[in-house]
Amino acid sequence: MSENQHPVFNRAVIALAGNASDTRIVHLVAELARPIRAEIVAVHVVEVAWSQPLDADIAGRSEQVQQILDEAEATAEQSKVRLDPVLLQAREVGAALVDEAIERAADLLVLSLPYRKRFGGDFAIGRTIPYVLKNAPCAVWVVREPITEESS
Amino acid sequence: MFVLVVGGGKVGYYLAKELIESSHEVVLMEKDRARADQIADEIGSIVVAHDGCEGKYLGEAGCARADIVAAVTGDDEDNLVICQMAKHHFDVPRTIARVNNPKNEELFRHLGVDEIISPTRMILGSIEQDIPVHELLHLAALGEGELEIIEAHLQDGSPAIGRTAGELTMPEGCSLFAVVRDGIAKPLLPDMALRVGDKVIAIGPNECSSRLHEQLIGAVDLEATPTG
Repeated sequence: MSENQHPVFNRAVIALAGNASDTRIVHLVAELARPIRAEIVAVHVVEVAWSQPLDADIAGRSEQVQQILDEAEATAEQSKVRLDPVLLQAREVGAALVDEAIERAADLLVLSLPYRKRFGGDFAIGRTIPYVLKNAPCAVWVVREPITEESS
Repeated sequence: MFVLVVGGGKVGYYLAKELIESSHEVVLMEKDRARADQIADEIGSIVVAHDGCEGKYLGEAGCARADIVAAVTGDDEDNLVICQMAKHHFDVPRTIARVNNPKNEELFRHLGVDEIISPTRMILGSIEQDIPVHELLHLAALGEGELEIIEAHLQDGSPAIGRTAGELTMPEGCSLFAVVRDGIAKPLLPDMALRVGDKVIAIGPNECSSRLHEQLIGAVDLEATPTG
């Protein structure tokens, strides 16, 4: 990269959904971050139902949640990049991701999107991605999973 | 404090907004999805887009751990159902209902709603205060609504003129406690003679209104009572 070129990003927040897409986006962002020495924050948000208080001990006890963060760290390490894992409890994933990106002064927010269809055949994008696209102040990358025979 | 507001109209919206600004935890239930999304865009992800009249959704909105449930929809029937479920099914300590039709107030009280807010009644009270009428003015309801603070504006012809408070026969459970004379509020002492222009403040149960009227204003003139 030449001196007068700005890096693509300086600090990226990656949303970990807890599925197979996590490895793909962590690897992708880590490979992009390494040459430009950008920071990576990987966030997993546990949604807390309104029937429970927001500070209820839900995520802390879950081994599965810890595994999601550990795997993201391990994937980043393979690309020789350090990743800062963050676990959040929130009412809505989208709002929590946007808040975290603002809090961390991130200039990039990366999310994965599994290829899914609703009953009836319409492509389903869910609620989180439209929320983030609408509200995040930084750049947003959505990495859609390839269409497989099962998903189509 | 955790407050569950049901109804995302103007009242619910501003109520939720004010509560959030006062650092309370708030959930707002609004059954109209478009309106719910609009509110969420403006004040954040605190909106549950479901009908608060359904117990299942009240539960999902956290009714069981709410300190207060405020039912402020435009439908009295809905507000009553919401408060009843909150009170009796979810054991919410305090329920507040908006009552649009003043005729429903008694029913709401009877069915155990802790607090009733009637915008119609409030506006009516405010209008009555600004218009010099010979009637009793209902200033405020106390407790669970069984007691009222009432103002009587004494005019020429009032049977109370020239008599002391001690000489008046008050209905049971009703007492006169203050007088506003020449714009100054004073405690109403037993030997104080009442004058034209005095505003006498009384407290008593709802049902003593007509007796109080007889004592302070005079017998109700049935011919002058509007019929339409």
